Amino acid sequence: MDAIVLIQGMNILYTVLALALVMMGLAIVMGLLNVLNIVHGEFIMIGAFTAYAVQAAGWPYILSVPAVFLVCGALGLVVERLLIRPLRYDPFDTLLATWGLGLLLRKFVEMFFGRAFRSVQVPLPGSLQIAGHSYPTYRIMIMAISAALLVSLVIWFRKTRTGSRIRAMVGNPTLAEAVGISTVALARNTFVAGTILAGFAGVVIAPLVPIEPQMGITLVVNAFFMIIIGGLGTVVGLIGGATMIGGIQSAVSAVFDPTTAYLSILALSVLFLWRWPRGIFPRV
Amino acid sequence: MVLRRTTTRRTLMKSIAAGSALVGIQSFVGVSRAANPLKIGVFVNDTGPASLFGPAQRAAAELGADQVNGAGGILGRNVEITFVDGGASPAEGAKTAVRLMLSDKVDMIFGSHDSAVRLAIEGAIKGKVPYVYTPVYEGSDCANGSYFLGETPQQQMERSIEKLAAIAGGKSFYLIGNDYVWPRTTNGQAKIYIEKIGGKVIAEEYYPLGAANNFESSIAKIKSAAPAIVLQTLVGGDNVSFNRAFSDFGLSDSFARLSCLLEENTLAGIGADASKNLYSCLAYFANLDSPANKAFLDAGKKRYGNEAPQQSTISKGLFDAFVFAKAVAEKAGSLDVAVFGLAADGISFETPSGTQKIKNRNAIKDMYLAKCDGGTFEVIDTFKAVSPGQTC
Repeated sequence: MDAIVLIQGMNILYTVLALALVMMGLAIVMGLLNVLNIVHGEFIMIGAFTAYAVQAAGWPYILSVPAVFLVCGALGLVVERLLIRPLRYDPFDTLLATWGLGLLLRKFVEMFFGRAFRSVQVPLPGSLQIAGHSYPTYRIMIMAISAALLVSLVIWFRKTRTGSRIRAMVGNPTLAEAVGISTVALARNTFVAGTILAGFAGVVIAPLVPIEPQMGITLVVNAFFMIIIGGLGTVVGLIGGATMIGGIQSAVSAVFDPTTAYLSILALSVLFLWRWPRGIFPRV
Repeated sequence: MVLRRTTTRRTLMKSIAAGSALVGIQSFVGVSRAANPLKIGVFVNDTGPASLFGPAQRAAAELGADQVNGAGGILGRNVEITFVDGGASPAEGAKTAVRLMLSDKVDMIFGSHDSAVRLAIEGAIKGKVPYVYTPVYEGSDCANGSYFLGETPQQQMERSIEKLAAIAGGKSFYLIGNDYVWPRTTNGQAKIYIEKIGGKVIAEEYYPLGAANNFESSIAKIKSAAPAIVLQTLVGGDNVSFNRAFSDFGLSDSFARLSCLLEENTLAGIGADASKNLYSCLAYFANLDSPANKAFLDAGKKRYGNEAPQQSTISKGLFDAFVFAKAVAEKAGSLDVAVFGLAADGISFETPSGTQKIKNRNAIKDMYLAKCDGGTFEVIDTFKAVSPGQTC
């Protein structure tokens, strides 16, 4: 009994942290900039394909990280300049525009790689012993990466000058501009950071998921459930949402069955949209 | 990387150009028969979750049409394909079927798509034209004018359960699948054969289709339940995610896995590093070593060059549909649904995976049990002429 309880506990923690990692970029872009970035899933997909391309070329897996910074960084810059900025960061306009961009990116990747499944080898195979039970090394590393990123995000947002500038811009853009903050550059950098985080998450999860042009769609659905429940624009909301969605999914799956788990998440999302549309931890 | 991809695209364009040239030549040669072509509407997965099969489905259908036209067409008429999308919603599928009949005036409809779309199409065509459904399916469909060339649960389970229990050295099964009709029916059949060999089902679990599923909790349960065999009816991306996680958790050394919808594309997603002790039982594998299969694949290479899409049982069935339709139409001398139906029963035809024979509108066929060897299948057993077990 102890073994399975411990492993299931680790599984819940893993699910929550992996979900937080995948959604971090979206939480920044949607939470701070109010851009309803449907194309987030495709940025993750492009990250995963970058990892695939690096591995297929015979290079070490770690090189996918700088590669994805370049690919998704450049993509983020172009998208911000040509799509998001001309639409003045309007939530509804960007929703439609990024939806279209998502279609385009899927077709673009399909043109080069086709629709078939690809797979990427786990860069750290094997498992580690935790309290006498083994758990896959790579999943432990994902948990560590996600936790480290979450902590850095809190520190960056709360303690750095850039963080306080972003808070100023989000709170009152006109006033921020008046005190000499270049909100155009700041918003651009924030968007690009979100894009890179999405691509990075794609690199990290690539060895665990089927890699194909449509892969972003299912991922992004969970992201929106998470944001509905967690609330927009705060790191606590991100962690809260991930904990609620990931935790419920794992716990209900473990105790009852996966279909019930999915149903309870849908029900909870509907309930939140109806009663508490701003989520548990909204930005004040 | 970028440079290499560009050349790939260029060669792709070349082969498309070459392909269209071939099509041109062929229609020129067949001009006498092309006057009154026999039109066949073919549903393929151009969009949707199964769209990765789309290119191979189109190729298999085109090769089937080539084969039939090369042998004098059907009833002396050249066949002409109208491709339509079977990857959208059932309602869309029904509308498309009506359009095929009313405006394209097709003589027959073939399809490789999911069962929900099949039921909608059957509802729309109401037995007015013969309809040939080709992929793996759950059975128990007796719609008027429908024929089924794909594997039924009985065919997949009847012999493989016993064989796999012998390989695994145990008779306990853990059933895991997606939550819809095909996995549940297949597991229902599996339980009958498991009981027959005196085995037992330890657990039965279903995951929602199309959700972002995580399989860690099931894997923990499987590890602690320690079955001899994990019987999977997961499809597509879930099949990949589950088996990758299974291997990452180090379970592939200890437990045998039989996946009921594991073909070449899914195996490519699972990857060579996660396919140890993984088995599949289907009516076709692309590396079957037979003259008929070699001829089929060579025709594909000739027509599409190196860009020929990867064939699998899901797509190859559409090739069979053309051979089947020609055989039946020639026996019946007509495409009238009633006459066609009488002629279909008991008819035999040759496919790339061996001879098939129609019984109760389903096909008796050879089934192959394969073990994954890295990224490829190795057929370890052939079950001859397995009955579909249907009673239409």
